[in-house]
Amino acid sequence: MTQFKTKHGYEGLLIVIEGTDGSGKSTQLQLLKKSIQAQSYGVIISEWKTSRLIANVIDDAKERNLLNATTYSLLYAADFADRLENTIIPALKSGFIVLLDRYYYTALARDVVRGQDIEWVKNLYDYAPEPDLIFYLDMPVDVLLKRIIGTTGLNYYESGRDVGFSSDFYKSFEIYQNKCLEQYEKMKSEYNFISIDGTKSIDEIHSIMNHEVQKILDSGVLY
Amino acid sequence: MSKLTEKHNYKGTLVCVEGIDGSGKSTQLALLRDWLKSTGHDVIFTEWNSSELISQTTKLAKKKNMLSPRTFSLLHAVDFADRLKQVIDPALKAGFIVLADRYAYTAFARDVARGVDPQWVRNVYNFAIKPDLAIYFDIDPKNSMERICSNRAPKFYEAGMDLKLSNDPYESYMIFQGRVTKEYQKMVDEFGLIKLDAMDSIHSKQVRIREMLREVLNNKGVNI
Repeated sequence: MTQFKTKHGYEGLLIVIEGTDGSGKSTQLQLLKKSIQAQSYGVIISEWKTSRLIANVIDDAKERNLLNATTYSLLYAADFADRLENTIIPALKSGFIVLLDRYYYTALARDVVRGQDIEWVKNLYDYAPEPDLIFYLDMPVDVLLKRIIGTTGLNYYESGRDVGFSSDFYKSFEIYQNKCLEQYEKMKSEYNFISIDGTKSIDEIHSIMNHEVQKILDSGVLY
Repeated sequence: MSKLTEKHNYKGTLVCVEGIDGSGKSTQLALLRDWLKSTGHDVIFTEWNSSELISQTTKLAKKKNMLSPRTFSLLHAVDFADRLKQVIDPALKAGFIVLADRYAYTAFARDVARGVDPQWVRNVYNFAIKPDLAIYFDIDPKNSMERICSNRAPKFYEAGMDLKLSNDPYESYMIFQGRVTKEYQKMVDEFGLIKLDAMDSIHSKQVRIREMLREVLNNKGVNI
């Protein structure tokens, strides 16, 4: 087996799960965490928009509809920078396996759909370490819609209502999520996503992910 | 491509003042504002880190020394973007004279002095509108410190204490603001900032500024 080298040069591993809302990312992340922990590796999870610094500001601003496309992008970029510097990089340096629920690909998709120039957004995140694995949960819009309506319901920003695609909630969600999917589609090859059919069963998806992670672990990179 | 290097086509006029603390920016801007108001012009004033959206969060984070150079930079960019879209842009469209106490150049000076990549931060702010008049008040960090620290020690970020340049806030201030000044000086050519000597009298600076603004306004067909 060829010796695996991390893409970012740190001791640990950086593994990302991407996908639109309702694609099952957090479920898979928890399963992956368990299976890796069972093998005595150190694992941490970090989720999108959870920095101590400004996650609350984003929620509050969203609630009050205070955001425009630029402040939306920049606030998420600040949240990301804070988590990266305070959580993700220190953990990688200490040899942890860091599992991320979303990475800057989410920002690329959402911000571009909101009309930002893609090069501008890429610049915001150009210092971010390259992940060792990027899983992408590929879901058709109609399935996504059912999942979201059946669980959390349609929210304002997830439906892209701020962008003004349509005053109809359902229509707006459909257009917005379709546009996000288009962006993800473009990123698949650019960033080497491992694309997984999100309509497969939870177990099936988990075993695909686990298999990829296991290949890296078996290479002995963390010894 | 950046809007900061292209002339804008708004009806209004954008003036900004730049310089490190204690360089007399705010005094000059206040005098200018009173004059413009008294001559019947529509004026709007906006200052660095004052947006409804984020300024309180940034101030709190500064108090707790929670900010890295990168998050410091991004939070100020959020503030700027919020004010640009909510205040500056609409006012310029409506034909106001917008007076900005600090502008994107403050970020370029401070963030780069903190080690942030110069091109990165310029790209972040590439949506900023190019001012019609950008004045830089040049002052030696030592003079600046004498002016602002006569009755208090320099604050943590103001002194660049986050960079661990020195344990002594006064010494750290001198080193850090020296770096900031160097960045400002580079921008005189890069962005056409107009450099004024901060040690000149309040009156002589104000006379110069009014002259320059008068010319800008006359070129736009506004008589003053």
